Amino acid sequence: MIELKCLWAALVAYVFAGSISIVAVTLKKRPERTVLGLMVLGLLLHTISIAMRWERLGHGPFITLFEILSSNVWSMMVAFALAYWRIPPIRPSAAVVMPVLFMVMGWLIMTNPGEGHLPPTYHTIWLYIHIGFGKVFFGGVLVALGISGVILARRTAFGASRFERLPEDKRLAELSFRCMAIGFVFETLMLIAGAIWAQDAWGRYWAWDPLETWAFLTWLVLAFSLHARFTLKLSPRAGSILVVAVFIVAFLTFFGVPFISTSAHKGAV
Amino acid sequence: MFQSSVMILLRRLASLKLTLVALIILGAAIWYAYIYEAPATWVLVPSLLLLALNLIASVATHPAFRRMSGLLLFHLGLITIVLLVALGRLTYLKGKVELAQGEEFGGQLMEVEAGAWHWGRLDQVRFINEGFRIAYAPGVQRGQTRNAVRYLDGSGKEQVMDIGDHTPLVLSGYRFYTSPNKGFAPAFIWHPATGGAPVLGTVHLPSYPINEYSQAREWQLPGTAMRVWSLLQFDEVLIDPASDSEFRLPNRHRMVVRIGERRYEMQPGDAIDLAEGRLVYDGLRTWMGYTVFYDWTIHWLLVVSMLTVSALGWHFWRKFAARPWNETRLA
Repeated sequence: MIELKCLWAALVAYVFAGSISIVAVTLKKRPERTVLGLMVLGLLLHTISIAMRWERLGHGPFITLFEILSSNVWSMMVAFALAYWRIPPIRPSAAVVMPVLFMVMGWLIMTNPGEGHLPPTYHTIWLYIHIGFGKVFFGGVLVALGISGVILARRTAFGASRFERLPEDKRLAELSFRCMAIGFVFETLMLIAGAIWAQDAWGRYWAWDPLETWAFLTWLVLAFSLHARFTLKLSPRAGSILVVAVFIVAFLTFFGVPFISTSAHKGAV
Repeated sequence: MFQSSVMILLRRLASLKLTLVALIILGAAIWYAYIYEAPATWVLVPSLLLLALNLIASVATHPAFRRMSGLLLFHLGLITIVLLVALGRLTYLKGKVELAQGEEFGGQLMEVEAGAWHWGRLDQVRFINEGFRIAYAPGVQRGQTRNAVRYLDGSGKEQVMDIGDHTPLVLSGYRFYTSPNKGFAPAFIWHPATGGAPVLGTVHLPSYPINEYSQAREWQLPGTAMRVWSLLQFDEVLIDPASDSEFRLPNRHRMVVRIGERRYEMQPGDAIDLAEGRLVYDGLRTWMGYTVFYDWTIHWLLVVSMLTVSALGWHFWRKFAARPWNETRLA
Protein backbone atom coordinates (compact mmCIF):
# COMPACT_ATOMS: atom_id res chain seq x y z
CA MET A 1 0.00 0.00 0.00
CA ILE A 2 1.20 3.49 -0.83
CA GLU A 3 0.31 4.80 2.65
CA LEU A 4 2.64 2.27 4.27
CA LYS A 5 5.41 2.97 1.76
CA CYS A 6 5.09 6.69 2.54
CA LEU A 7 5.28 5.92 6.25
CA TRP A 8 8.39 3.74 5.89
CA ALA A 9 10.01 6.43 3.70
CA ALA A 10 9.15 9.05 6.35
CA LEU A 11 10.72 6.90 9.07
CA VAL A 12 13.86 6.49 6.95
CA ALA A 13 14.06 10.30 6.60
CA TYR A 14 13.64 10.73 10.36
CA VAL A 15 16.30 8.10 11.06
CA PHE A 16 18.73 9.84 8.70
CA ALA A 17 17.96 13.21 10.32
CA GLY A 18 18.54 11.78 13.81
CA SER A 19 21.66 9.82 12.85
CA ILE A 20 23.22 12.83 11.15
CA SER A 21 22.43 14.93 14.26
CA ILE A 22 24.13 12.43 16.56
CA VAL A 23 27.18 12.08 14.30
CA ALA A 24 27.35 15.88 13.86
CA VAL A 25 27.37 16.46 17.62
CA THR A 26 30.03 13.78 18.07
CA LEU A 27 32.22 15.27 15.31
CA LYS A 28 31.33 18.86 16.25
CA LYS A 29 29.86 19.55 12.78
CA ARG A 30 26.75 21.63 11.93
CA PRO A 31 24.77 20.10 9.04
CA GLU A 32 21.64 21.80 10.39
CA ARG A 33 20.00 22.58 7.04
CA THR A 34 20.33 18.96 5.96
CA VAL A 35 18.81 17.75 9.23
CA LEU A 36 15.92 20.24 9.03
CA GLY A 37 15.36 19.31 5.37
CA LEU A 38 15.18 15.62 6.23
CA MET A 39 12.78 16.31 9.10
CA VAL A 40 10.49 18.33 6.81
CA LEU A 41 10.69 15.66 4.08
CA GLY A 42 9.83 12.98 6.62
CA LEU A 43 6.93 15.04 7.95
CA LEU A 44 5.54 15.59 4.42
CA LEU A 45 5.64 11.86 3.66
CA HIS A 46 4.22 11.02 7.08
CA THR A 47 1.38 13.54 6.66
CA ILE A 48 0.51 11.99 3.28
CA SER A 49 0.51 8.51 4.86
CA ILE A 50 -1.78 9.57 7.74
CA ALA A 51 -4.10 11.49 5.40
CA MET A 52 -4.44 8.49 3.04
CA ARG A 53 -5.25 6.15 5.91
CA TRP A 54 -7.74 8.68 7.32
CA GLU A 55 -9.43 8.96 3.94
CA ARG A 56 -9.52 5.16 3.49
CA LEU A 57 -10.87 4.29 6.95
CA GLY A 58 -13.01 7.39 7.55
CA HIS A 59 -11.52 8.12 10.96
CA GLY A 60 -8.41 9.68 12.40
CA PRO A 61 -5.31 7.88 13.70
CA PHE A 62 -6.45 7.17 17.25
CA ILE A 63 -7.93 3.66 17.37
CA THR A 64 -5.23 1.00 17.01
CA LEU A 65 -1.81 0.93 18.64
CA PHE A 66 -0.30 1.38 15.18
CA GLU A 67 -2.33 4.54 14.53
CA ILE A 68 -1.64 6.00 17.96
CA LEU A 69 2.11 5.39 17.67
CA SER A 70 2.21 6.76 14.13
CA SER A 71 0.30 9.94 15.00
CA ASN A 72 2.43 10.47 18.11
CA VAL A 73 5.67 10.10 16.15
CA TRP A 74 4.22 12.65 13.70
CA SER A 75 3.22 15.14 16.41
CA MET A 76 6.51 14.76 18.30
CA MET A 77 8.40 15.37 15.05
CA VAL A 78 6.27 18.45 14.30
CA ALA A 79 6.97 19.86 17.77
CA PHE A 80 10.68 19.20 17.59
CA ALA A 81 11.03 20.35 13.96
CA LEU A 82 9.32 23.64 14.90
CA ALA A 83 11.68 24.11 17.85
CA TYR A 84 14.63 23.14 15.64
CA TRP A 85 13.60 25.72 13.04
CA ARG A 86 12.63 28.59 15.37
CA ILE A 87 15.26 28.21 18.13
CA PRO A 88 18.60 27.63 16.36
CA PRO A 89 20.71 27.68 19.56
CA ILE A 90 19.18 24.39 20.76
CA ARG A 91 19.54 22.46 17.48
CA PRO A 92 22.22 20.04 18.78
CA SER A 93 19.63 18.80 21.30
CA ALA A 94 18.36 16.70 18.36
CA ALA A 95 21.06 14.23 19.40
CA VAL A 96 19.10 13.72 22.66
CA VAL A 97 15.55 13.87 21.27
CA MET A 98 15.92 11.68 18.19
CA PRO A 99 16.95 8.49 20.06
CA VAL A 100 13.66 8.80 22.03
CA LEU A 101 11.81 9.03 18.73
CA PHE A 102 13.81 6.08 17.34
CA MET A 103 12.46 4.01 20.23
CA VAL A 104 8.83 4.87 19.40
CA MET A 105 9.51 4.38 15.68
CA GLY A 106 10.95 0.91 16.41
CA TRP A 107 7.80 0.08 18.34
CA LEU A 108 5.70 1.38 15.43
CA ILE A 109 7.55 -0.81 12.90
CA MET A 110 6.85 -3.91 15.01
CA THR A 111 3.14 -3.13 15.31
CA ASN A 112 0.40 -4.62 13.15
CA PRO A 113 -0.95 -1.93 10.80
CA GLY A 114 -4.41 -3.57 10.75
CA GLU A 115 -7.65 -1.62 11.04
CA GLY A 116 -9.77 -1.03 14.12
CA HIS A 117 -13.39 -0.16 14.75
CA LEU A 118 -14.33 3.39 15.74
CA PRO A 119 -16.31 3.08 19.01
CA PRO A 120 -19.55 5.10 19.17
CA THR A 121 -18.09 7.22 21.99
CA TYR A 122 -15.45 8.52 19.55
CA HIS A 123 -17.95 10.36 17.33
CA THR A 124 -17.34 13.77 18.84
CA ILE A 125 -15.32 16.89 18.12
CA TRP A 126 -14.06 16.79 21.72
CA LEU A 127 -11.98 13.74 20.87
CA TYR A 128 -10.01 15.76 18.31
CA ILE A 129 -9.66 18.71 20.69
CA HIS A 130 -8.57 16.45 23.57
CA ILE A 131 -6.01 14.62 21.45
CA GLY A 132 -4.78 17.84 19.82
CA PHE A 133 -4.09 19.48 23.20
CA GLY A 134 -2.40 16.29 24.39
CA LYS A 135 -0.08 16.29 21.41
CA VAL A 136 0.96 19.92 22.00
CA PHE A 137 1.59 19.08 25.67
CA PHE A 138 3.76 16.10 24.83
CA GLY A 139 5.60 18.06 22.13
CA GLY A 140 6.45 20.78 24.67
CA VAL A 141 7.75 18.24 27.19
CA LEU A 142 9.77 16.48 24.45
CA VAL A 143 11.57 19.70 23.50
CA ALA A 144 12.19 20.39 27.22
CA LEU A 145 13.61 16.87 27.52
CA GLY A 146 16.07 17.53 24.68
CA ILE A 147 17.30 20.74 26.30
CA SER A 148 17.49 19.12 29.74
CA GLY A 149 19.35 16.17 28.27
CA VAL A 150 22.00 18.58 27.01
CA ILE A 151 22.33 20.13 30.50
CA LEU A 152 22.73 16.70 32.07
CA ALA A 153 25.13 15.48 29.36
CA ARG A 154 27.33 18.47 30.05
CA ARG A 155 28.13 16.99 33.46
CA THR A 156 30.53 14.66 31.64
CA ALA A 157 33.71 15.83 29.94
CA PHE A 158 32.56 14.30 26.62
CA GLY A 159 29.16 15.98 26.81
CA ALA A 160 30.64 19.31 27.89
CA SER A 161 32.96 19.38 24.87
CA ARG A 162 30.31 18.19 22.40
CA PHE A 163 27.61 20.65 23.55
CA GLU A 164 29.91 23.61 24.26
CA ARG A 165 28.39 25.70 21.45
CA LEU A 166 24.98 25.73 23.11
CA PRO A 167 23.92 28.58 25.42
CA GLU A 168 24.93 28.44 29.07
CA ASP A 169 23.05 26.05 31.38
CA LYS A 170 20.95 28.78 33.02
CA ARG A 171 19.67 29.98 29.66
CA LEU A 172 18.94 26.40 28.59
CA ALA A 173 17.10 25.78 31.88
CA GLU A 174 15.01 28.88 31.21
CA LEU A 175 14.13 27.62 27.72
CA SER A 176 13.28 24.22 29.14
CA PHE A 177 11.03 25.93 31.71
CA ARG A 178 9.21 27.75 28.89
CA CYS A 179 8.54 24.48 27.09
CA MET A 180 7.34 22.88 30.31
CA ALA A 181 5.06 25.87 30.96
CA ILE A 182 3.51 25.48 27.50
CA GLY A 183 3.17 21.78 28.24
CA PHE A 184 1.43 22.57 31.53
CA VAL A 185 -1.13 24.87 29.88
CA PHE A 186 -1.90 22.29 27.20
CA GLU A 187 -1.98 19.38 29.65
CA THR A 188 -4.59 21.37 31.63
CA LEU A 189 -6.57 22.02 28.43
CA MET A 190 -6.29 18.32 27.54
CA LEU A 191 -7.77 17.35 30.91
CA ILE A 192 -10.64 19.86 30.52
CA ALA A 193 -11.45 18.67 26.97
CA GLY A 194 -11.19 15.05 28.13
CA ALA A 195 -13.62 15.75 30.98
CA ILE A 196 -16.15 17.28 28.55
CA TRP A 197 -15.80 14.25 26.28
CA ALA A 198 -16.16 11.82 29.21
CA GLN A 199 -19.29 13.61 30.45
CA ASP A 200 -20.91 13.26 27.03
CA ALA A 201 -19.67 9.76 26.31
CA TRP A 202 -19.95 7.99 29.66
CA GLY A 203 -22.14 10.29 31.76
CA ARG A 204 -19.40 11.38 34.16
CA TYR A 205 -16.65 13.96 33.76
CA TRP A 206 -14.15 12.21 35.98
CA ALA A 207 -14.06 8.66 37.33
CA TRP A 208 -10.40 8.01 38.19
CA ASP A 209 -10.07 5.34 35.51
CA PRO A 210 -6.41 4.35 34.90
CA LEU A 211 -5.87 6.81 32.06
CA GLU A 212 -7.50 9.70 33.94
CA THR A 213 -5.50 8.88 37.07
CA TRP A 214 -2.21 8.78 35.20
CA ALA A 215 -3.03 11.96 33.26
CA PHE A 216 -3.77 13.76 36.53
CA LEU A 217 -0.57 12.39 38.12
CA THR A 218 1.33 13.75 35.12
CA TRP A 219 -0.34 17.14 35.69
CA LEU A 220 0.68 17.03 39.36
CA VAL A 221 4.30 16.08 38.60
CA LEU A 222 4.44 18.86 36.01
CA ALA A 223 2.94 21.36 38.48
CA PHE A 224 5.45 20.19 41.10
CA SER A 225 8.41 20.63 38.75
CA LEU A 226 7.33 24.18 37.74
CA HIS A 227 6.64 25.12 41.35
CA ALA A 228 9.89 23.59 42.65
CA ARG A 229 11.92 25.51 40.09
CA PHE A 230 10.49 28.77 41.44
CA THR A 231 10.32 27.87 45.15
CA LEU A 232 13.57 25.97 45.66
CA LYS A 233 15.60 28.03 43.15
CA LEU A 234 16.71 24.77 41.58
CA SER A 235 20.03 24.47 39.78
CA PRO A 236 19.78 23.77 36.03
CA ARG A 237 20.89 20.20 36.74
CA ALA A 238 18.23 19.56 39.41
CA GLY A 239 15.58 21.20 37.18
CA SER A 240 16.66 18.96 34.31
CA ILE A 241 16.27 15.83 36.44
CA LEU A 242 12.70 16.93 37.19
CA VAL A 243 12.05 17.45 33.47
CA VAL A 244 13.24 13.89 32.81
CA ALA A 245 10.92 12.65 35.59
CA VAL A 246 7.96 14.52 34.05
CA PHE A 247 8.79 13.09 30.63
CA ILE A 248 8.93 9.53 32.01
CA VAL A 249 5.52 9.89 33.72
CA ALA A 250 4.03 11.54 30.60
CA PHE A 251 5.53 8.81 28.38
CA LEU A 252 4.02 6.08 30.57
CA THR A 253 0.64 7.86 30.48
CA PHE A 254 0.69 8.27 26.70
CA PHE A 255 2.21 4.96 25.66
CA GLY A 256 1.81 2.65 28.63
CA VAL A 257 -1.57 3.05 30.28
CA PRO A 258 -3.85 2.98 27.18
CA PHE A 259 -2.44 -0.45 26.34
CA ILE A 260 -2.68 -1.86 29.86
CA SER A 261 -6.29 -0.79 30.43
CA THR A 262 -8.94 -0.27 27.78
CA SER A 263 -11.72 0.24 30.32
CA ALA A 264 -12.62 3.84 29.65
CA HIS A 265 -11.67 4.70 26.13
CA LYS A 266 -13.32 1.84 24.26
CA GLY A 267 -16.94 0.98 23.66
CA ALA A 268 -18.57 -2.17 25.03
CA VAL A 269 -20.81 -4.31 22.78
CA MET B 1 -1.56 39.74 69.89
CA PHE B 2 -4.38 37.73 68.29
CA GLN B 3 -3.84 39.52 64.99
CA SER B 4 -0.12 38.74 64.98
CA SER B 5 -0.79 35.07 65.82
CA VAL B 6 -3.18 34.86 62.88
CA MET B 7 -0.60 36.46 60.62
CA ILE B 8 2.08 33.98 61.77
CA LEU B 9 -0.29 31.08 61.10
CA LEU B 10 -1.24 32.51 57.71
CA ARG B 11 2.42 32.95 56.73
CA ARG B 12 3.22 29.39 57.75
CA LEU B 13 0.23 28.11 55.82
CA ALA B 14 1.26 30.25 52.84
CA SER B 15 4.69 28.61 52.61
CA LEU B 16 5.54 27.76 49.02
CA LYS B 17 7.47 24.77 50.32
CA LEU B 18 4.22 23.58 51.93
CA THR B 19 2.68 23.72 48.42
CA LEU B 20 5.30 21.23 47.25
CA VAL B 21 4.60 19.00 50.26
CA ALA B 22 0.84 19.23 49.62
CA LEU B 23 1.36 18.29 45.94
CA ILE B 24 3.42 15.26 46.99
CA ILE B 25 0.75 14.22 49.53
CA LEU B 26 -1.99 14.64 46.89
CA GLY B 27 0.00 12.56 44.41
CA ALA B 28 0.60 9.87 47.05
CA ALA B 29 -3.12 9.84 47.95
CA ILE B 30 -4.09 9.41 44.29
CA TRP B 31 -1.52 6.63 43.93
CA TYR B 32 -2.87 4.93 47.07
CA ALA B 33 -6.47 5.16 45.81
CA TYR B 34 -5.37 3.83 42.40
CA ILE B 35 -3.35 0.88 43.69
CA TYR B 36 -5.69 -0.18 46.51
CA GLU B 37 -8.91 0.82 44.69
CA ALA B 38 -9.92 2.90 47.70
CA PRO B 39 -12.80 5.43 47.40
CA ALA B 40 -10.99 8.42 45.89
CA THR B 41 -13.11 11.12 47.56
CA TRP B 42 -12.18 10.41 51.18
CA VAL B 43 -8.57 9.62 50.40
CA LEU B 44 -8.16 12.91 48.58
CA VAL B 45 -10.06 15.21 50.96
CA PRO B 46 -7.20 15.83 53.49
CA SER B 47 -4.59 16.63 50.83
CA LEU B 48 -7.01 18.80 48.81
CA LEU B 49 -7.97 20.64 52.00
CA LEU B 50 -4.32 21.27 52.82
CA LEU B 51 -3.67 22.45 49.27
CA ALA B 52 -6.73 24.73 49.31
CA LEU B 53 -5.71 26.30 52.66
CA ASN B 54 -2.16 26.75 51.41
CA LEU B 55 -3.43 28.41 48.20
CA ILE B 56 -5.79 30.74 50.09
CA ALA B 57 -3.05 31.75 52.55
CA SER B 58 -0.57 32.25 49.68
CA VAL B 59 -2.94 34.45 47.73
CA ALA B 60 -3.68 36.47 50.90
CA THR B 61 -0.07 37.05 51.93
CA HIS B 62 2.33 36.84 48.97
CA PRO B 63 2.92 40.25 47.34
CA ALA B 64 3.89 38.50 44.07
CA PHE B 65 0.20 37.82 43.40
CA ARG B 66 -0.57 41.55 43.49
CA ARG B 67 2.05 42.16 40.79
CA MET B 68 1.01 39.23 38.58
CA SER B 69 -2.73 39.30 38.01
CA GLY B 70 -2.67 36.29 35.65
CA LEU B 71 -1.00 34.16 38.30
CA LEU B 72 -3.44 35.49 40.92
CA LEU B 73 -6.44 34.57 38.75
CA PHE B 74 -4.96 31.12 38.10
CA HIS B 75 -4.61 30.39 41.82
CA LEU B 76 -8.04 31.85 42.65
CA GLY B 77 -9.41 29.61 39.89
CA LEU B 78 -7.76 26.55 41.44
CA ILE B 79 -9.31 27.39 44.83
CA THR B 80 -12.73 27.83 43.20
CA ILE B 81 -12.38 24.49 41.37
CA VAL B 82 -11.57 22.69 44.65
CA LEU B 83 -14.62 24.35 46.31
CA LEU B 84 -16.90 23.50 43.38
CA VAL B 85 -15.71 19.88 43.32
CA ALA B 86 -16.37 19.66 47.08
CA LEU B 87 -19.88 21.11 46.62
CA GLY B 88 -20.45 18.76 43.69
CA ARG B 89 -19.47 15.74 45.78
CA LEU B 90 -21.92 16.81 48.49
CA THR B 91 -24.86 17.25 46.13
CA TYR B 92 -24.25 14.81 43.24
CA LEU B 93 -26.24 11.74 42.29
CA LYS B 94 -25.15 8.77 40.20
CA GLY B 95 -27.41 5.87 39.46
CA LYS B 96 -28.57 3.18 37.09
CA VAL B 97 -31.99 2.20 35.86
CA GLU B 98 -33.34 -0.22 33.25
CA LEU B 99 -36.55 0.41 31.34
CA ALA B 100 -38.38 -1.94 29.01
CA GLN B 101 -39.75 -0.64 25.73
CA GLY B 102 -42.90 1.32 26.48
CA GLU B 103 -42.15 1.55 30.20
CA GLU B 104 -42.26 4.87 32.05
CA PHE B 105 -39.48 5.94 34.40
CA GLY B 106 -41.13 6.39 37.79
CA GLY B 107 -38.34 8.09 39.72
CA GLN B 108 -36.86 4.89 41.17
CA LEU B 109 -33.29 3.78 40.49
CA MET B 110 -31.85 0.26 40.67
CA GLU B 111 -28.48 1.50 41.94
CA VAL B 112 -27.95 4.91 43.47
CA GLU B 113 -25.06 6.81 44.99
CA ALA B 114 -25.64 10.37 46.18
CA GLY B 115 -23.92 13.13 48.14
CA ALA B 116 -25.08 13.92 51.67
CA TRP B 117 -26.78 17.17 50.57
CA HIS B 118 -28.50 15.87 47.47
CA TRP B 119 -32.04 17.21 47.48
CA GLY B 120 -34.00 14.71 45.48
CA ARG B 121 -36.40 15.79 42.77
CA LEU B 122 -35.87 12.60 40.84
CA ASP B 123 -39.28 11.29 41.94
CA GLN B 124 -40.87 14.05 39.82
CA VAL B 125 -38.96 13.07 36.68
CA ARG B 126 -40.92 11.09 34.10
CA PHE B 127 -40.13 9.81 30.61
CA ILE B 128 -40.98 6.77 28.52
CA ASN B 129 -38.52 4.51 26.70
CA GLU B 130 -39.94 4.13 23.19
CA GLY B 131 -37.30 1.63 22.02
CA PHE B 132 -33.87 1.85 20.45
CA ARG B 133 -31.93 1.19 17.28
CA ILE B 134 -28.28 0.15 17.28
CA ALA B 135 -26.30 -0.66 14.15
CA TYR B 136 -23.49 -3.22 14.35
CA ALA B 137 -20.44 -3.37 12.11
CA PRO B 138 -18.79 -6.71 11.19
CA GLY B 139 -17.15 -8.31 14.20
CA VAL B 140 -20.14 -7.39 16.44
CA GLN B 141 -18.81 -3.84 16.75
CA ARG B 142 -21.46 -1.61 18.26
CA GLY B 143 -22.30 1.58 16.40
CA GLN B 144 -24.31 4.61 17.50
CA THR B 145 -27.25 4.08 19.87
CA ARG B 146 -30.48 5.90 19.01
CA ASN B 147 -33.04 5.58 21.77
CA ALA B 148 -36.40 7.32 21.31
CA VAL B 149 -37.80 8.78 24.53
CA ARG B 150 -41.07 10.63 25.21
CA TYR B 151 -41.40 13.19 27.97
CA LEU B 152 -43.20 16.38 28.97
CA ASP B 153 -41.13 19.55 28.68
CA GLY B 154 -41.20 22.49 31.13
CA SER B 155 -44.37 23.90 29.55
CA GLY B 156 -46.15 20.55 29.81
CA LYS B 157 -45.90 19.88 26.07
CA GLU B 158 -45.09 16.31 24.97
CA GLN B 159 -41.73 15.90 23.28
CA VAL B 160 -40.07 12.97 21.55
CA MET B 161 -36.32 12.88 21.07
CA ASP B 162 -33.54 10.48 20.16
CA ILE B 163 -30.93 10.14 22.85
CA GLY B 164 -27.76 8.06 22.69
CA ASP B 165 -23.99 8.36 22.64
CA HIS B 166 -23.14 12.01 23.41
CA THR B 167 -26.81 13.00 23.68
CA PRO B 168 -28.37 12.57 27.11
CA LEU B 169 -31.95 13.33 28.11
CA VAL B 170 -31.79 16.18 30.63
CA LEU B 171 -34.81 16.59 32.92
CA SER B 172 -34.74 18.80 36.05
CA GLY B 173 -30.93 18.70 35.98
CA TYR B 174 -30.83 14.88 35.88
CA ARG B 175 -28.96 13.55 32.87
CA PHE B 176 -30.01 10.15 31.48
CA TYR B 177 -27.43 8.44 29.29
CA THR B 178 -27.98 5.27 27.32
CA SER B 179 -25.44 2.55 28.10
CA PRO B 180 -24.06 -0.54 26.33
CA ASN B 181 -26.22 -2.49 28.78
CA LYS B 182 -29.38 -3.50 26.90
CA GLY B 183 -31.21 -6.63 25.85
CA PHE B 184 -34.46 -8.54 25.52
CA ALA B 185 -37.39 -8.25 27.89
CA PRO B 186 -40.18 -10.87 27.72
CA ALA B 187 -43.43 -9.36 29.01
CA PHE B 188 -45.89 -11.39 31.11
CA ILE B 189 -49.35 -10.62 32.49
CA TRP B 190 -50.20 -12.19 35.83
CA HIS B 191 -53.89 -12.67 36.69
CA PRO B 192 -54.08 -13.58 40.41
CA ALA B 193 -56.62 -16.26 41.33
CA THR B 194 -57.71 -14.06 44.23
CA GLY B 195 -59.33 -11.72 41.68
CA GLY B 196 -56.97 -8.76 41.98
CA ALA B 197 -56.08 -6.54 39.03
CA PRO B 198 -53.82 -8.15 36.39
CA VAL B 199 -50.15 -7.17 36.62
CA LEU B 200 -48.03 -6.53 33.53
CA GLY B 201 -44.31 -6.98 34.07
CA THR B 202 -41.14 -7.51 32.07
CA VAL B 203 -38.18 -9.73 32.80
CA HIS B 204 -34.89 -8.14 31.78
CA LEU B 205 -32.77 -10.94 30.35
CA PRO B 206 -28.96 -10.57 30.57
CA SER B 207 -27.41 -7.90 28.36
CA TYR B 208 -27.27 -8.82 24.66
CA PRO B 209 -25.16 -9.63 22.65
CA ILE B 210 -22.45 -9.90 25.31
CA ASN B 211 -24.44 -12.70 27.03
CA GLU B 212 -25.71 -14.19 23.77
CA TYR B 213 -25.63 -17.77 25.10
CA SER B 214 -27.20 -17.19 28.51
CA GLN B 215 -30.54 -15.55 27.81
CA ALA B 216 -32.27 -16.86 30.95
CA ARG B 217 -33.42 -15.32 34.22
CA GLU B 218 -35.22 -16.54 37.36
CA TRP B 219 -37.90 -14.30 38.89
CA GLN B 220 -40.83 -14.39 41.30
CA LEU B 221 -44.55 -14.22 40.52
CA PRO B 222 -46.05 -11.09 42.15
CA GLY B 223 -47.78 -11.74 45.49
CA THR B 224 -46.61 -15.37 45.63
CA ALA B 225 -43.54 -17.30 46.68
CA MET B 226 -43.36 -19.08 43.31
CA ARG B 227 -40.09 -18.89 41.38
CA VAL B 228 -40.22 -18.84 37.58
CA TRP B 229 -37.27 -19.60 35.34
CA SER B 230 -37.56 -18.26 31.79
CA LEU B 231 -35.29 -18.79 28.79
CA LEU B 232 -35.41 -17.06 25.41
CA GLN B 233 -34.64 -19.40 22.49
CA PHE B 234 -34.35 -18.55 18.81
CA ASP B 235 -32.46 -20.04 15.87
CA GLU B 236 -31.65 -16.86 13.92
CA VAL B 237 -28.35 -15.04 13.88
CA LEU B 238 -29.46 -11.57 14.97
CA ILE B 239 -26.11 -9.80 14.93
CA ASP B 240 -24.01 -11.37 12.22
CA PRO B 241 -20.29 -11.17 12.98
CA ALA B 242 -19.58 -11.31 9.23
CA SER B 243 -21.66 -8.37 8.05
CA ASP B 244 -23.41 -5.14 8.98
CA SER B 245 -26.51 -5.73 11.05
CA GLU B 246 -28.86 -4.08 13.53
CA PHE B 247 -30.13 -4.99 17.00
CA ARG B 248 -33.64 -6.37 16.52
CA LEU B 249 -36.16 -8.80 17.95
CA PRO B 250 -36.02 -12.35 16.50
CA ASN B 251 -38.67 -13.09 13.85
CA ARG B 252 -39.52 -16.39 15.58
CA HIS B 253 -38.73 -17.32 19.13
CA ARG B 254 -39.78 -19.64 21.99
CA MET B 255 -40.11 -18.59 25.58
CA VAL B 256 -39.21 -21.61 27.71
CA VAL B 257 -40.70 -21.31 31.19
CA ARG B 258 -40.05 -23.65 34.10
CA ILE B 259 -42.18 -23.49 37.25
CA GLY B 260 -41.28 -26.13 39.81
CA GLU B 261 -40.89 -29.40 37.93
CA ARG B 262 -43.08 -28.32 34.97
CA ARG B 263 -41.62 -27.02 31.73
CA TYR B 264 -43.59 -24.96 29.17
CA GLU B 265 -42.74 -23.58 25.71
CA MET B 266 -44.71 -20.40 25.11
CA GLN B 267 -45.56 -18.17 22.17
CA PRO B 268 -47.06 -14.68 22.59
CA GLY B 269 -50.65 -15.07 23.86
CA ASP B 270 -50.05 -18.49 25.47
CA ALA B 271 -51.09 -18.92 29.08
CA ILE B 272 -50.23 -21.22 31.99
CA ASP B 273 -52.94 -21.93 34.53
CA LEU B 274 -51.71 -22.37 38.07
CA ALA B 275 -53.49 -22.71 41.41
CA GLU B 276 -52.35 -19.18 42.34
CA GLY B 277 -53.43 -17.59 39.06
CA ARG B 278 -52.91 -17.40 35.31
CA LEU B 279 -49.62 -16.42 33.65
CA VAL B 280 -49.94 -15.04 30.11
CA TYR B 281 -46.92 -14.50 27.88
CA ASP B 282 -47.55 -11.09 26.26
CA GLY B 283 -44.55 -11.02 23.89
CA LEU B 284 -40.96 -9.97 23.52
CA ARG B 285 -39.67 -6.41 23.92
CA THR B 286 -36.31 -4.77 24.46
CA TRP B 287 -34.88 -3.04 27.52
CA MET B 288 -32.31 -0.28 27.82
CA GLY B 289 -30.00 0.42 30.75
CA TYR B 290 -29.52 4.09 31.62
CA THR B 291 -26.82 5.83 33.60
CA VAL B 292 -28.25 8.71 35.61
CA PHE B 293 -26.08 11.67 36.59
CA TYR B 294 -26.81 14.85 38.50
CA ASP B 295 -24.23 17.50 39.39
CA TRP B 296 -25.24 21.15 39.20
CA THR B 297 -21.59 22.25 39.37
CA ILE B 298 -20.45 20.87 36.01
CA HIS B 299 -21.19 24.01 33.97
CA TRP B 300 -19.60 26.24 36.61
CA LEU B 301 -16.59 23.92 36.71
CA LEU B 302 -16.19 24.27 32.96
CA VAL B 303 -16.40 28.08 33.07
CA VAL B 304 -13.97 28.37 36.00
CA SER B 305 -11.57 25.83 34.47
CA MET B 306 -11.46 27.77 31.21
CA LEU B 307 -10.89 31.07 33.03
CA THR B 308 -8.19 29.44 35.15
CA VAL B 309 -6.24 28.01 32.26
CA SER B 310 -6.67 31.25 30.28
CA ALA B 311 -5.22 33.19 33.20
CA LEU B 312 -2.25 30.83 33.33
CA GLY B 313 -1.74 31.12 29.57
CA TRP B 314 -1.91 34.92 29.83
CA HIS B 315 0.62 34.90 32.70
CA PHE B 316 3.12 32.81 30.74
CA TRP B 317 2.49 34.75 27.53
CA ARG B 318 3.38 38.04 29.23
CA LYS B 319 6.39 36.48 30.92
CA PHE B 320 7.80 34.89 27.77
CA ALA B 321 6.94 37.68 25.34
CA ALA B 322 9.32 39.96 27.23
CA ARG B 323 12.37 38.11 25.80
CA PRO B 324 12.88 36.26 22.52
CA TRP B 325 13.19 32.49 22.52
CA ASN B 326 16.38 32.31 20.47
CA GLU B 327 18.45 34.61 22.68
CA THR B 328 21.62 32.74 23.62
CA ARG B 329 22.35 34.46 26.94
CA LEU B 330 20.31 35.30 30.01
CA ALA B 331 19.64 39.03 30.46
